[in-house]
Amino acid sequence: MPIHTLGESRKVKLVTALAVLGLVGAFSGLAAAGSSPVSLPLLGSNVTVPAAKAAAMANRMPSAPTDASASAVTAATPAFPADPIPAAILGSNVPVPIPSSVMTETNGWVDSNGYNLVAVYAGSAGDDPTQGRVVIVRQDLRAGKQTVQIVDTGATGPLTIAADAPTGVAVETSALTGGLKLGTSRGTTIRLNLSTNTVSGN
Amino acid sequence: MIIRKFLWLLPLGVVLLSLGASPAFASAAPASVQAFYVYGTTLTTLENVVNANGCAFASNQPDDQTDIMLLDFGAARLVSSGSYGAIDFSGTTFKNPSILLALEKAADGYHGCHAKGGVIIEYGNSNYRMSSSGMSTTDAWNAGYDQEQTAEDLSTYQVAHGYGSQVAGTASDMEPSYDGQLITKQLVNGATAQGWAIYDDFGSVDGCPTSGNSNGPCNNGWTVGDVAYVSYHGVALPLPEIYYTVSANQWTVIRKYWDVDSAGYFFDGVTGETPAPSGGVNATTGWTTLSSKNPGLVGPNLVCYGTGC
Repeated sequence: MPIHTLGESRKVKLVTALAVLGLVGAFSGLAAAGSSPVSLPLLGSNVTVPAAKAAAMANRMPSAPTDASASAVTAATPAFPADPIPAAILGSNVPVPIPSSVMTETNGWVDSNGYNLVAVYAGSAGDDPTQGRVVIVRQDLRAGKQTVQIVDTGATGPLTIAADAPTGVAVETSALTGGLKLGTSRGTTIRLNLSTNTVSGN
Repeated sequence: MIIRKFLWLLPLGVVLLSLGASPAFASAAPASVQAFYVYGTTLTTLENVVNANGCAFASNQPDDQTDIMLLDFGAARLVSSGSYGAIDFSGTTFKNPSILLALEKAADGYHGCHAKGGVIIEYGNSNYRMSSSGMSTTDAWNAGYDQEQTAEDLSTYQVAHGYGSQVAGTASDMEPSYDGQLITKQLVNGATAQGWAIYDDFGSVDGCPTSGNSNGPCNNGWTVGDVAYVSYHGVALPLPEIYYTVSANQWTVIRKYWDVDSAGYFFDGVTGETPAPSGGVNATTGWTTLSSKNPGLVGPNLVCYGTGC
């Protein structure tokens, strides 16, 4: 069989065709995936996002590194009217902020004197119902700060905040650092000390 | 000789192919930023609290990048006929016009204390017990739509006030254990129909498979495909909760499942907790773990709850 050698012009055409094929392939690949190239400076690279997200992605780009008017650089609102939340056990329709992977919640309790807030969620570890777990959310409302602490109680089974938990307006401040009785699956109770975030036998 | 003149086109094609294939994010974990649960009994309280949150966020911003400030207003709700909003973590229900006023105060608070970087102020909610509160799938669609509209209205406010370092967004903590997949998908569908902002899914993958790429079952009748839908359909992007290593495995299955038929799935970042829960991982390790299983596909956002954020 005779061996044919490509002429110079044919070689050029072949390489050009391959290159064009690569480019077309790249762009057709984007089209097939329903994607549209969007430059995202905040990500530090050019990122291809699906067309359905392109406009929304573009809308999350700040227009400038600084604001048109100077920042006041002051503390949060100086006048902060207190608006307490009387201590209460939360209803079953009230959302729970703790992910179900962290906790299977039994019930919750909240209290605020208008400046500080504590919410307690009782239940068991998300991956092990035999392990009791309490999650404490605290907020310094004036400073805009929040903490979330997890307290594990061992093999108590799911915990339940007792029905005789502190409630009402009168305990709005004292209950923030007081105690909460927690029922275990064995019918015993333990006490959560909100000033130390520890539990002890009741 | 002539051939060499055209050879540069080949690597260009390869580069373009790689761009089309996937995003390429950095492998180093970003600094974490604080997220906030919203508790309030009156609009005034709501406004004051998130205003303080905005200032605290700006004051503690760790870098010059645009970070997500996630304000979780609770669960999506139909408040009254044709009026949508959220029930917050104290059990108080607010309509979206009130939530908008609060978000504007958060923008003011951020502006007042802004030192560096930028912010995406996100209106977050969840799919927690929407059905049992009386919401229909149509209501959920409308709730998602109105949530996006509220974010767009916040953006209008930010622009009008010259807050150039700020933008507005939306997010939802969509968890299989919270409600059914059909009604939850309507949040995303409504949000996509309005379409103004990325809809970050900072939810979970309860009970989903930990390996493979098939459409296996998750909790509460959900499947891998359902989680993939609410986290990536339309304007949705995953900002998944990674509190345990297993969650990173499960989210990797979600990504692989999506990519079987529709390539391009990537993560906006990670939602985590520092310090870590017992047996779990902290926010930074959560991001690193997910990134190691999905190289180049995890964005530079690390939203964090906990004392050590």
